[in-house]
Amino acid sequence: MFEGIGAKLFSSVVSLSLLLFSSFQGNDPSFTSVTVQKTGSYVYLSGSLHSAFENDFPSIFSSGAQIPVHFALSVRQGSKTLAQRRFTHSVSFDTMTGSYEVYKSGGAQSFQSDKVEEIIAEVARFRFGIPYQPSWGEVNIRIEASLPKVNFRELNKEVDLMVLWKHQKPSTKVVVDLRKAQ
Amino acid sequence: MPRLALHTRIIVLFLLITISGLVLLNMVFQAKQDEIHGAIGRMELSERLRSIRHYNAEDSLKAGEIMREYDAAKALLNISLGNSRVVTSVVLFLVIIASSLIFIVSIIRISKPLRELKHATDQIRQGNYSVHLPETGISEMRELKNSFNVMSRELESTQTKLLLAEKEMIWKDLSRILAHEIKNPLTPIQLVIQRLQERLETDPGSITDILPESVSIITQEIENLRLLAQDFSNYAKASQPARELFNPALLIREIIKSYAQNYDIRLELAEDLQVFFDKTHFYQVITNILQNAIDASLDAKPITIKMYGERSYVVICVQDQGVGIESKDLARIFEPYFSMKTKGTGLGLALVKKLCDANNAIVRVKSKAGEGSEFTLIIEDTAS
Repeated sequence: MFEGIGAKLFSSVVSLSLLLFSSFQGNDPSFTSVTVQKTGSYVYLSGSLHSAFENDFPSIFSSGAQIPVHFALSVRQGSKTLAQRRFTHSVSFDTMTGSYEVYKSGGAQSFQSDKVEEIIAEVARFRFGIPYQPSWGEVNIRIEASLPKVNFRELNKEVDLMVLWKHQKPSTKVVVDLRKAQ
Repeated sequence: MPRLALHTRIIVLFLLITISGLVLLNMVFQAKQDEIHGAIGRMELSERLRSIRHYNAEDSLKAGEIMREYDAAKALLNISLGNSRVVTSVVLFLVIIASSLIFIVSIIRISKPLRELKHATDQIRQGNYSVHLPETGISEMRELKNSFNVMSRELESTQTKLLLAEKEMIWKDLSRILAHEIKNPLTPIQLVIQRLQERLETDPGSITDILPESVSIITQEIENLRLLAQDFSNYAKASQPARELFNPALLIREIIKSYAQNYDIRLELAEDLQVFFDKTHFYQVITNILQNAIDASLDAKPITIKMYGERSYVVICVQDQGVGIESKDLARIFEPYFSMKTKGTGLGLALVKKLCDANNAIVRVKSKAGEGSEFTLIIEDTAS
């Protein structure tokens, strides 16, 4: 709990500091409306991240290093955690051909393009499935996105990509009644 | 808006200069970073290298390696620039917050003891010398409070000694005056009795010749002793005033009646005025001032009593053309036991002052040696 409060306090301080004293634009990621769909024994959540991969990201994606984007899902009922899953989208770039590839761990899909705009749209889009039990009833599903520290092997340097999101982890919460949802 | 203390203004000024300097420095830093960021964004080395045709695999590998390193360096630079701007802003923000907090805490820690000190000083000014401050706070404040406590203890001790000395002096003065005043009537009484004894021994038949005069002298001196006792009693008893509204002209005329046959007393009184004063006290005040004027007047020179209204006050002046008062004595005439007369306790004018104070009135005196004196009473009227 204290870790969560500390992280929120830190991100608030960073946002306020940047607003007051910096011309750094960075990105202000947020989730667009998430839709929930039940199929068989799985509940699927789909949506996209908005304003997450604009400033500076084209050059980061084309750096040659693999850039992962983590999504953490948790299903809770009251204070009880029913299920937790972690999905990762990653972007890589082939310097010689100038083409990008997005790999999504959730559906084991990959997408290739030489246009960075398409790659950005694809990496931001998600569809995650979690197995559920109808007895769970009404649950809170929370999705949180984050960026990891990445090692640039060519320069032997590790950097925290969260700086590009101003240390704010975008998150959203959906309340679903699994007995009723379609 | 309360005026800021000097130390507060100095700290505020220091903070403003420091923070302004840091903000300015940050602005310059951010502007330069923007320039670098823009320059990096315009560098498209990889695109150019990709467009070059490579004739063999070795060239392609080398070019690929250069492109990868370049792209990684470009990305890293962008992130580092972003990171440094974030860190700078956060540090600046925290410095400002920390400085402000330190400023507030310092002000509280400096101001609170200073307020305590001011409060304690006020108490000392009001005569409470027993006030002591807890020796807490920063070391300078502890030292200051300690000095203050030492000073207040010394003042308290000095005040106690002064009070004791004053009491002793008052008793000495009182004893001297009482002894003197009692001795004055006793001497003629003793002489008369001795004379009666001698006559009784030498010529008892003629004792009746001197008896009426002797009895008269003894009666007069006993009356003097009674008056002396009355004076002391009046001064000691000066009670809480029971203020009421009355016409002072009527009372003044009443008082004058008993003096008018022997003295030339002239009245110029506005008849329609009223004063808010204790009636008994008023009688004592006017009688004492008048008696003083009579005692000072030689050759039956006239005494004038004037009364008129001025704004919300009634002014009563008693003027005589008597011996007057030396300027060096003017400041002391309302002190108890101070008298310039050969007869008297020195309590008359002290009683006047005491009664005027008790009735919210003011008594003033103007005098010139050899020309006479003027006592002025300023008393609240009905309107107030």
